Amino acid sequence: MGETAPETEARKLAEDARDRVRFEEEALELADQVYRVARRLVSSREEAEDLMQETYARAFRSWKSYQPGTNLRAWLLRILTNLNIDRGRRVQRAPDMQPLEEGDYFLYNKLEESTQAPNPDEERVLERLSQDDAVSALSAVPHDFRDAIVLVDIGDFSYNDAAQILDIPVGTVMSRLHRGRRILKRELAERALVDGDDVE
Amino acid sequence: MSGFAIDPCEKCEELLQSFLDRDLSEEERAVAEEHLDGCDYCRKRYRFEAELRRFVRQAVTEPMPLELKLKLAELRTPLI
Repeated sequence: MGETAPETEARKLAEDARDRVRFEEEALELADQVYRVARRLVSSREEAEDLMQETYARAFRSWKSYQPGTNLRAWLLRILTNLNIDRGRRVQRAPDMQPLEEGDYFLYNKLEESTQAPNPDEERVLERLSQDDAVSALSAVPHDFRDAIVLVDIGDFSYNDAAQILDIPVGTVMSRLHRGRRILKRELAERALVDGDDVE
Repeated sequence: MSGFAIDPCEKCEELLQSFLDRDLSEEERAVAEEHLDGCDYCRKRYRFEAELRRFVRQAVTEPMPLELKLKLAELRTPLI
């Protein structure tokens, strides 16, 4: 015996409600991880909290456009990144194209020089950096480069996911990431060496 | 013959990020590993870079405030 039209309608509504609740639960379970990235994409905690609420409000409204089985965390970050740009919080600027002289060993070499011990091991060298140095150095990296670092190195996204979230080619993610990490190391070196000078 | 044409440490420095990202071809990776096996200078700097990434990730991670978690939960669609 088949369902009547009202019964079919009721069943559909119930299925929809069940899928929506499941979606919302899954999205909420990811909130800690999304926040970890959001917090470093913007400059203050307040901005990050506002952005998270706007993101989740929009995600819950447009949950049907999410394709089950795809990367939900990346989908949420895509919404968040777009909102961040749309709301003009993030001042778009030309990528920092100044030549960067420092290579990838620059930070280590600078820190090693400033360490008193002869031929220190790498743990000893790393101790020259403080948590505040890391936070402040990361925030000093220009946005375009920082976005790539935050998504890949802090958020654990693949190059491909980061490219989709930022809506840029994968090659651009890779070049911004490489350059961004070098800028970050330059910023870390500046801070660590100033801290060291204060001590002396 | 070594895979590095001129300054092997300089070449190794160039491969550092891609090595740690596991984004090198097998050939490039083998060249880097061969150099690292015999070069304490580069090996230290590679180990430092790996530690640095972990350090930065931990240093900049802030837990989500509980109030925010509650606010997000309130955004869910009411069941009725």
